[in-house]
Amino acid sequence: MTDELVAAIEAGDARTWLAEQVATAGDPARFAMAFAAAGRRLGRGAIGEAAAAAITAAGLRWPVTGADECGRAALVLAAVAALPPAGDRQVSFVRDLVRRGEVRERQAVLRALAALPAPARFVDLAVDACRSNVETVFAAIACDNDFPARHFPPPAFHQMVIKALFIGAPLARIAGLAERTTDELRRMVDAYVSERAAAGRAIPDDVALIRRPP
Amino acid sequence: MKLFDPHIHMTSRTTDDYAAMAAAGVAAVVEPAFWVGQPRTHVGTFEDYFLSLLGWERFRAGQFGIRHFCTLAMNPREANDPALVDDVLALLPGYLEKDGVVAVGEIGYDDMTPAEDRCFAAQLELARAHGLPALIHLPHRDKKRGCERTLALVRDVGFAPELTIVDHNTEETLPLTLDSGCWAGHSIYPHTKMDEPRMVELVKRYGAERILVNSAADWGVSDPLKVPKTRDAMRAAGIADATLATIFWRNPIAFFAQSGRLDPAELETRPAVDQRQLHEGNSVLRGQTPRVDGTDDAGPANSNVRA
Repeated sequence: MTDELVAAIEAGDARTWLAEQVATAGDPARFAMAFAAAGRRLGRGAIGEAAAAAITAAGLRWPVTGADECGRAALVLAAVAALPPAGDRQVSFVRDLVRRGEVRERQAVLRALAALPAPARFVDLAVDACRSNVETVFAAIACDNDFPARHFPPPAFHQMVIKALFIGAPLARIAGLAERTTDELRRMVDAYVSERAAAGRAIPDDVALIRRPP
Repeated sequence: MKLFDPHIHMTSRTTDDYAAMAAAGVAAVVEPAFWVGQPRTHVGTFEDYFLSLLGWERFRAGQFGIRHFCTLAMNPREANDPALVDDVLALLPGYLEKDGVVAVGEIGYDDMTPAEDRCFAAQLELARAHGLPALIHLPHRDKKRGCERTLALVRDVGFAPELTIVDHNTEETLPLTLDSGCWAGHSIYPHTKMDEPRMVELVKRYGAERILVNSAADWGVSDPLKVPKTRDAMRAAGIADATLATIFWRNPIAFFAQSGRLDPAELETRPAVDQRQLHEGNSVLRGQTPRVDGTDDAGPANSNVRA
């Protein structure tokens, strides 16, 4: 997986730098410097569609993001792999990265969660990330990410979908939406539509992705 | 003419302020970490404050087409709390490497105590270790003595003057600051610090080299439009537009670009505001119609909403 993320960076000094940093990501001091500097070293420009498809094909659903997010995801996967799997070191490491991350750092970690070992351990921090009012952070966990459909309990998944409707994040990009749609989610969406109608407000087209056909 | 406010505490300001600043031409701001009006008593409060400067405030500014950078530090006033200083100094290295951090600051003196000496010097060393400039706050009381002591400490530590901005200058401190090789900031305030007519006179006398002007607007009585107002006062006094562009745009960019975290080319383009966009977000809205640049279609409440 780290190979595909590294290969998403255009060949040259930036990719060479990233490959070196991934190889030494087990060293906490080197990891911290590389993780923070990735935006400057790799840039924030979008990777190509083919590169995103290659990451997805390798098992981590990945949209077209900034190169910095690819690089940071590769660094996180490598750093976690270097930590002992027993105990809670891997979980506390990832939790601290999200808690202490600036916006784009948080996004990268959230996008990588589904590829971490024993990913269900990270469900609490992923659910918490949905509480962000920074829309790009919310979208990093809610959209084009397999983690919620695989690991969120129903109430958290439902809340995420309703929040996506509220803020206009496209429901079509929520992975596993059809499989995770329940009667309870349909009821919540119906209530949302009713509330919007009563207030004389527009109804998002995306509710059609949840409601039963009339 | 694009304007840069190199010292403003936007955390304390409203969205109306952001809208008015953007309308007046302010395209970029630097928000230094400082005192929040009452003492903080836990290191965790500092951490959350740093995080809000790196996250939420940057996002909020972007919603109004303003680029937001920050400086992080333990400020001089709270440097006198021995229970906090070491914990905050230990916290800083993890944050100083982050994107959007363009200096260590505000540091400097408040009461000019030995505790402040130690915290000030330690943070100049942190700036050096992280390759960052330093933003220094001059004390409000005994200011000239404070400026002399500030410049002496910068010299003693061996911190490069070209990487140093000394802020809140007055007629008495500006010659000292300029002679030292440091950059000189001026905070234009409604009633204290510096005002527009005095600033006009300083520029007529000392020129534009290494001169910056800011609003230092915060949670007190202050004015986030002092940068455009001071530019207008200078223009009315016959100061050339080229000089104004140096003071209000090129100088702050040249100073903070020394961090390597601010791209002058990127700053020349203003981020398009589309409050409907996923990647610009719309969460500062409270049911209003989102603003979208480049179209007179006010647009629905969300990009996927149809009436």
